Amino acid sequence: MIIGTDLKRYYGLGAVQVRALDGVSLKIQKGEFVGVMGPSGSGKSTLLHMLGLLDRPTSGSLLIDGVDVGALDEQARTVFRLRRLGYVFQDYALVPELTARENVYLPSMARGMTPQECTLVCTDILGVVGLGDRIHHLPSQMSGGEQQRVAIARALVNRPALLLADEPCANLDTRNSKVILDLFRKLNHDLHQTIVMVSHEEWHKQYFDRIISMKDGLIETDIQGGPEGASGGEPSG
Amino acid sequence: MFEESKVAFFLAKRSIVRGNKGTLYLTILIIGMVFVNLIFLPSIISGVAVLFNQQTIDYSYGNLVIEPKENQVYIKSADELQRKIERIPGVTGVSPQYVSGTTIVYKGNEVTPLLYAINPDDDRRVLKIATKVASGEYLADGDTDQIVIGYRLAGNYDERQDVIPSLGGVDVGKVVEVTYNNGVTRQYRIKGIINSDSYDVDSNAFITKNEYESVYGFENQANQMLVRTEETGNEDAMRTTLMAFGVQEKIWTWEEKSANFLNQIIGSFNIINFIGTVVSLVIAIVVIFIVIFINTVYRRKQIGILKAIGIDRSIIIRSYLFQALFIFALGTVIGFGFLAVILQLLAANPIVFPGGPVAPVVDAMLIFRSMVSLLVVSLIAGYVPAWLTTREDILTAIRG
Ligand SMILES: Nc1ncnc2c1ncn2[C@@H]1O[C@H](COP(=O)(O)OP(=O)(O)O)[C@@H](O)[C@H]1O
Ligand SMILES: [Mg+2]
Repeated sequence: MIIGTDLKRYYGLGAVQVRALDGVSLKIQKGEFVGVMGPSGSGKSTLLHMLGLLDRPTSGSLLIDGVDVGALDEQARTVFRLRRLGYVFQDYALVPELTARENVYLPSMARGMTPQECTLVCTDILGVVGLGDRIHHLPSQMSGGEQQRVAIARALVNRPALLLADEPCANLDTRNSKVILDLFRKLNHDLHQTIVMVSHEEWHKQYFDRIISMKDGLIETDIQGGPEGASGGEPSG
Repeated sequence: MFEESKVAFFLAKRSIVRGNKGTLYLTILIIGMVFVNLIFLPSIISGVAVLFNQQTIDYSYGNLVIEPKENQVYIKSADELQRKIERIPGVTGVSPQYVSGTTIVYKGNEVTPLLYAINPDDDRRVLKIATKVASGEYLADGDTDQIVIGYRLAGNYDERQDVIPSLGGVDVGKVVEVTYNNGVTRQYRIKGIINSDSYDVDSNAFITKNEYESVYGFENQANQMLVRTEETGNEDAMRTTLMAFGVQEKIWTWEEKSANFLNQIIGSFNIINFIGTVVSLVIAIVVIFIVIFINTVYRRKQIGILKAIGIDRSIIIRSYLFQALFIFALGTVIGFGFLAVILQLLAANPIVFPGGPVAPVVDAMLIFRSMVSLLVVSLIAGYVPAWLTTREDILTAIRG
C-alpha cells in the first residue's frame, strides 16, 4: 500500500536547518490501522503531509497504491488526492460556506459523479458517520465532534485507498474522541479501510493495529499489536 | 472541462449566496454605474453630432452645394441651371445665392459681416433661417431697400454683452448703411433680426438677390447654389444623379463643406470620450480586482483546504471567474435600469445645446462595445487575483 524509502524533509538552510524528517522508511499494508505517535515536534505531521501529498519530501521516494507519487506533477497529485486519499485535519478544515452535506458532496462532484450518485453516496456516508439529521447545517452551527465527523465523511466519500488523519481528536473531548476512534475502528474492520492516524494520546493506542513511534524526525519503534495487545485502559483526565 | 465548470459554478454560487452581501451589492452597483458611464457620454456626443449635422443642413448648406466650374467665380446661366436641377427627382429646393464681404455702418458702429443675397422663396425651400426670425419679418421676393441681419450682428447697447463686433443694438425699422466692395453705398431698413442658434447665421446679413444684382450690374448669375433633397444620407447618390442630368459645376455634399469644423468638434469630443471610457474601465477593473482579491485573501485557508481535498487550482480560479461574471451580469442589468431612467428623465427635460435639444443616441453597437469591454475587464479583474492567491502552497495556506 505504502512504501516510503529514506524520506527526508528539511526546512531552512545552513545552521538553522530543521530536519523535520531525517530519513524515514516504512511499509504499510492494505487494511492496516496504523497509529503514528511521538512527542510534539517529532515529525508526525510532516510525515503525514508526505503521505497525503500535501508536501514534497526533500529527498527519498514514496510509492502509494503502486504509484510513484514523487514523479507526479501538481495537477496529477491533486487528482491523486481527490481519487485515492482522504485527509482529516485536526481543525476539521471544512469549507465554512458549505453545509455539512455540501462539504461531503463537493469531492464526489469534483470526481465527476452524477448528482444522483453524489446524493446517494453522501447520504450513505453521512449515515455511516452518524450525521443523519444535521446535514443541512453550516459548520459554524455544528459542534466540534459533528464537524469532525463531517470531515471524515468528506474524506471517505470517494472511497479512498488511504485515509490519513492528523490528530483528529485533539480538539475534542473524550466522549467525542471515542466516537471518532470507534468510527475509525469500524471502518477499518468492516471496510478494510487502510488508516494512518497521528495521535499523542496514550489511550488511543488500544485502537491501533500497529504503532509507529517517532522522535526527532526518525522512527524510534514500530510495534505490531492490536487492541488486544495494547496496554489499553481508560483515558486519564 | 464541463465537470470542472460544474464544480466551479457550485462553489461560486455558494460563495455568492453565503458570502458578504453588502460588498456584493456595492460592487454590482459600481459596475452598473460604470456601465452607465460607458454609454451615457458617448450617446450624448453622438446626439450633439446629429444635432450639429442637422443644423449644418438646415441653416448653412442644405444637402448639396453647387459651385462654379473650375477657374470661374460665378455660376453662369444660374436660372437655367436652377430650373434644371429643380426638375430632378428627389430635389425639393434649389437656392442660388451670392456671398460676399461687406461693410455695414450704424451710428458709428462698423461691422464687416458676410452678406448673403438670396431669392427668399427659393431660400425657404432649402434652409430654415426664415423660420427663426426673432423680431420683424424675413425678406420677401420683391424687397429692394430692406435687409435682415443676425442677432449677434445687431448686437446690444451694452457692448460687453456682444460676442462679435456688432452694430451696437440696432432694432427693426432702423436704417443702416451698407458699402459693397465695388464702392457702392446704399441705405437699408432693417426688416428682421434672426436668432437661429447657428453661430454663422446669426453673424451674417441677408438681402435679396435682385438687389445685389442691381448693385453689381449682374444678371442670371450666382456664387453658389444650395440644393435640398428629399432624404438626408444619400448625398453621394444624389450628386451622381445631378451629374447624370448634366450638371457640370462642382458639387459638394454638406459633409464635405463642413468637414473641418465638424471633424474638429467630433475629434475633441472623442478625446473626452476616450478618457471617460478609460477612466470608467479602470474604475471597474480596480473595484472588481479589489473585491475578488479581498475575497480570495479572506478565503486563503479555504482555498488551501479545497486544494488539499483534491479540487484543482483551475476549478478554484474558475469559480472566481464565475463570481466576476455574476457581478458583471448583474451590474449590466442594473446599468440598463439606470440608463432607462436617465433617458426617461432626459426625454422629459432635454439638455439644450445651441441649436436645440440633444437627443442621446444609444445604438446597439455602443451597447455591445460597452458590454464587451466591461466583460473583458471583469474577467481579467477576476482572474488575476484568483490566480495570485491560488498559487500559494497548500500547507502555508491552510495554516492561515
Ligand atoms: N514550515 C516549517 N518551517 C520550519 N520548520 C517547520 C515547519 N513545519 C514544521 N517544522 C518543524 O519540523 C519539526 C516537525 O514538525 P511536525 O511534523 O509538525 O511535528 P509534530 O507533528 O510531530 O508535532 C518541528 O521541529 C517543527 O518546528
Ligand atoms: Mg503535528
